[in-house]
Amino acid sequence: MAQLEVLNPVARPVRHSITPASRRTDLSGATIGLYWNMKAGGDEALTRTETLLRERFPGATFRRYHGSVGFLMRHCTAEDSDRIAREVQAVVGTTAD
Amino acid sequence: MVELERRGIPTVFFTAKTFVHDAQRSAASFGLPGLPIAVLSMPATNQRPGAIHAMVDDAIEQVITGLTRPVEPVTDGHDLPVADEHLVYRGDDLLAAWDAMQADFLTRGWSDGFPLVAPTRRAVEAMLGGTRRAPGDVIATLEPGFGLATVEKLAVNAVMAGCRSEHLPFLLAAVRCLAEPKMYLRNKAMSTGPHAPVVIVNGPRGRVARFNGGICALGPGAPSASNSALGRALRLTMMNVGHTYVGISDMDTIGSPLKYACCCAENERESPWEPYHVTRGFRVEDSTVTVHFVYGLCELHDFKSTTPEDLIGVFATAATNVAQVGTGLWLLGRRSDPRYKTTEQEHNTMLVCPEHAQIFAREGWGRERIQRAMYDATRIAFRTLMLNKERAAMAASHPELGWLWDHPELPVPIVEDPGCFEIAVVGGAAGRGAYFYGAGEPVTMPVED
Repeated sequence: MAQLEVLNPVARPVRHSITPASRRTDLSGATIGLYWNMKAGGDEALTRTETLLRERFPGATFRRYHGSVGFLMRHCTAEDSDRIAREVQAVVGTTAD
Repeated sequence: MVELERRGIPTVFFTAKTFVHDAQRSAASFGLPGLPIAVLSMPATNQRPGAIHAMVDDAIEQVITGLTRPVEPVTDGHDLPVADEHLVYRGDDLLAAWDAMQADFLTRGWSDGFPLVAPTRRAVEAMLGGTRRAPGDVIATLEPGFGLATVEKLAVNAVMAGCRSEHLPFLLAAVRCLAEPKMYLRNKAMSTGPHAPVVIVNGPRGRVARFNGGICALGPGAPSASNSALGRALRLTMMNVGHTYVGISDMDTIGSPLKYACCCAENERESPWEPYHVTRGFRVEDSTVTVHFVYGLCELHDFKSTTPEDLIGVFATAATNVAQVGTGLWLLGRRSDPRYKTTEQEHNTMLVCPEHAQIFAREGWGRERIQRAMYDATRIAFRTLMLNKERAAMAASHPELGWLWDHPELPVPIVEDPGCFEIAVVGGAAGRGAYFYGAGEPVTMPVED
């Protein structure tokens, strides 16, 4: 029986950890952000989402967002994220493909 | 979404079924495993509104759950499986043990599909002899997995690729190219597009290490063995150090043979101009590696033309390809990494053969004149350029160009400015070069010990 010992090619990753935001159980009356990254079809998905969430959460209002930088896809800068966080209580995003 | 969660905003995002694993891995890499997602049965791209609405209807309860229920901590599934640093394979003889290694590496996703050179301790030690850097030195942290690119890990992947020790400094330089913020590696490594890193070697050390810039420089074959090895090592590094794994974090939907390896030297000996790396800010005596991600290539074939103008006329037809995503993409803006506030124009790389370079040079044309001529010659009707582009994206990036919609037949440049054509002299005689459809801009780094 022969034995071949080799080294593992996979690098160890740098770990990151974020605490998720707390959730409220009812979004009635909340302002909900609808974030579109400009991938085709995402805006239609958000339009339908808004319709359905309006039915589910009375009094909810909606704001549309896209990132301030990018091209085929647009991305949020830190400043964009700060502004969105000031203006809404929840966000639905499209699309991670 | 992770940044919004960090700011105390509950989020959920839509992703298509085929991208769920990718989404989960990304969320975990950024520190929030279990980030809520709502799954669409198909990507929303190329779908009619009715079909998209139906998919959202099916996923809306996931949206509501994601926004209103606590995020459950995830303790499994999205981290890379951890294996020992030393792996042992057994067989009736060494070849059988090597077969077992191949099969296991394939199963784990560590292989590009071709047989690998076994990264034994002895082979890796020999590879490390190619650099003065210590094995534990961290060259970079590579996205999308934030893998620590130590010299030793790079050496392991270089061995696997078939590199010799003199190739290792070139790999280290190529990895530094990948890690430059301006490269925006994450955008290219994870995309649904077939982004392949083209590597161009310049300078005296490249000649010593036998990188081929002449006949069949893009491979295959023995003359390009160094080219193939370095290109392959870079791909294995992206996979095993950057954790760019097919179907998990590399979401390329079609793939490309260029992704296995695409590397050449510039044919500095037969170029009438200063070497390419000098145009990138280096000295002639420096040795460098340039990495430029590309989508694909087209031949620059012309046996007939004998004037610069006629050559440009032919070359321009390669560039005016709207099916290539980068063509006219500047109308939607620029690649931009919001974390570092970098931006990239869309560049294309032209590998001009020595004969064509001589035709240009004898009429006094240098690179800048070729770039200008290509910029002027590569214009397409606005409405054609926009056939496969989101109008809203253009409105967001270039509201000042909205008037173009009233002039749909107006020819518009396919790139943002003449400097978006990179030019190097590569290949053998007989009138055939290559045009690479680029993704963003190239990055050049010096080769150091």
